[in-house]
Amino acid sequence: MTASTLTLPRQSRSGDLRLLWLGTALLALCLLSIAALSLGARATGWADIWGALTSYDPNKADHIVVRNMRLPRLIGAGLAGAALGMSGALIQAMTRNPLADPGLLGINGGAALGVVLCILVLGVTDPAEFIWVALGGGLAASVLVFLLGGGSQANPLRLILAGAAVSALFLALTRALLLVSRQTLDVYRFWVLGGFDGILPATLQSLLPFLILGALLAIIAGFGLNALMLGEDTAKGLGVRTGLTRLTAGAAIVLLCGATVAMAGPIAFAGLIVPHMARWAAGPAIGWSLAFSAVFGALLLIAADLLGRLALFGGNMQAGVMTALIGGPVLIWLVRRNGVRKL
Amino acid sequence: MIWTLRLSSLSVQISRRAVLTATLLLSVLLMTALLALTLGSYPLRLADMQEILTGGGTAIQQMILLDHRMPRILTALGAGAAFGLSGAMFQTMMRNPLASPDVIGFNAGASCGALVAMMLTGGMVLPGAIAGALITAAVVTLLAWSRGLPPYRLILTGVGASLVLTAIGDLLISRMDAQTAADMAQWLIGTLNARSWSDVALVWGGLLLLAPALVWLQFPLTRLGMADDIATGLGMALSPLRLAVTGTGILLAALAVSTAGPLPFVAFAAGPIARRLIPNGRPVLLAAAASGALITLMADTAARAVPMIQLPAGVFTALIGAPVLIWLLLAQFRKGAL
Repeated sequence: MTASTLTLPRQSRSGDLRLLWLGTALLALCLLSIAALSLGARATGWADIWGALTSYDPNKADHIVVRNMRLPRLIGAGLAGAALGMSGALIQAMTRNPLADPGLLGINGGAALGVVLCILVLGVTDPAEFIWVALGGGLAASVLVFLLGGGSQANPLRLILAGAAVSALFLALTRALLLVSRQTLDVYRFWVLGGFDGILPATLQSLLPFLILGALLAIIAGFGLNALMLGEDTAKGLGVRTGLTRLTAGAAIVLLCGATVAMAGPIAFAGLIVPHMARWAAGPAIGWSLAFSAVFGALLLIAADLLGRLALFGGNMQAGVMTALIGGPVLIWLVRRNGVRKL
Repeated sequence: MIWTLRLSSLSVQISRRAVLTATLLLSVLLMTALLALTLGSYPLRLADMQEILTGGGTAIQQMILLDHRMPRILTALGAGAAFGLSGAMFQTMMRNPLASPDVIGFNAGASCGALVAMMLTGGMVLPGAIAGALITAAVVTLLAWSRGLPPYRLILTGVGASLVLTAIGDLLISRMDAQTAADMAQWLIGTLNARSWSDVALVWGGLLLLAPALVWLQFPLTRLGMADDIATGLGMALSPLRLAVTGTGILLAALAVSTAGPLPFVAFAAGPIARRLIPNGRPVLLAAAASGALITLMADTAARAVPMIQLPAGVFTALIGAPVLIWLLLAQFRKGAL
């Protein structure tokens, strides 16, 4: 029996439906993007949006707002959402854990500690320069969590607990360091909210290679993960190199999450919710799940950013806080609904 | 070795090891407290202590000992004991050392409550913290409830609540002016700076009020640590008992946070340490209280020993607690307990 025959019944039944879903989601993404470009403190019309994108005129205020503020923000939110969605789908598939999420597994906590150390020791205050420390801190924390959690053999509860423990430790250390210097606190307290305020095209450009590489590795890992979800032995019997698959998936996760943290700070829960939405629309096959997760993730973060920017807290609520407010209840609902059943 | 105490028809069995351990812990605690009284930027000699206490000594010595060090040390002991008790109650009941109130979100709730109170009233940090801890605990318990209180649901719900509350707290801190934010950052990690006799009265009065419940709960609590079917077989009504333990544990955590701030890892580390000292299946609460008090006092004394800067005790409890946490996780995983 092969992997494809095991998943075939569901695939063949709903293949067209899935394409329809994906098309609808992409359409929604387009509409939401246009809304994100036009809405704001200064509402912008169709003509100006089109003009700003095609024939940019640096003397028009509307063009400047659309091209230099809303567009980078939109692209940033979309990329971050897609990256978090894909990495969440990978983590959940790899650990067969419906509650796995990059933030819950310590990556955000590690990145935060790295950033505080960076501000404190190196005196860096420009968020664009946090990239490497955020990546390093996140990597260190996630390795620690995976080692403590028993790696890929871990059961869901154990992995989450290891993540919570390491996060608590890193949070305490971060808070301790923040007491040492007022300046550090002042930079950190805005970074930690996670959002797309004042994101620069240059930052996006420098992170794009990481995101593309991460996405490619995610797709490559997807082929092996599909078989791995049937169990270690079955996957080996099918000729999948399980160790290599996990390594590829791990590298993809670290690249995608690290680049996101570097771009937008720690964003909670997006990686948790999105794959659930994706599986609900697309079924368990990892390839579809990755595609849907990318689109749904972009949708979620663009919507969160737009909502926070327009409506809540006087139009001044960061996307990271928005996703935490949405994601916490979703996590609790998932726990209530099916506990920690394995995927 | 077991000793049996008899009083007409009542008899209590006491293990000698438990008695010895408790005596040892309490004497270490007493010695540390005495040492802490003498240490500081204005050294006092142990020999002078009695004289100062009975009204002698210089005015400065009087002030240092009676107005500063004694209330601070007594508050540290009381808050630490409350943290330790609360942690041990949840950990024993849930049969999981990770189910301590600081891990399952109560500290985050207290922090968030304090921040909200600060935002709304410009003060009222303590009432805000207590309200935050109580509301969080109630909500987490209700959400995790499902014909009983399954440990994994409580822990996961608590972790989720913790993340949300931390995000809200981060948001609030970013909305404060720099001075208030710095003050709150100090409070948020837990400190015993400038405690007065009113703090002592609060924490010890609270402990005294809860003492009967603790004495009553400690024996069924030990049996709650067994498997469900065994405990039910022994004729225990699990759910009411769990609710009583949860309620008492929450009150203790709120008491501790309101006097010392959300000190990280004290509630968490005290239980496992106590459990190492007390033989399996024996009431662990007294040892947990003593361990919590000792950790807190040691951390605060270390914080006072650093010259020039006023470091909060929470920095040091994190430094003590974090290795315990890692060690515990590894031990638990190796045993296959998780």
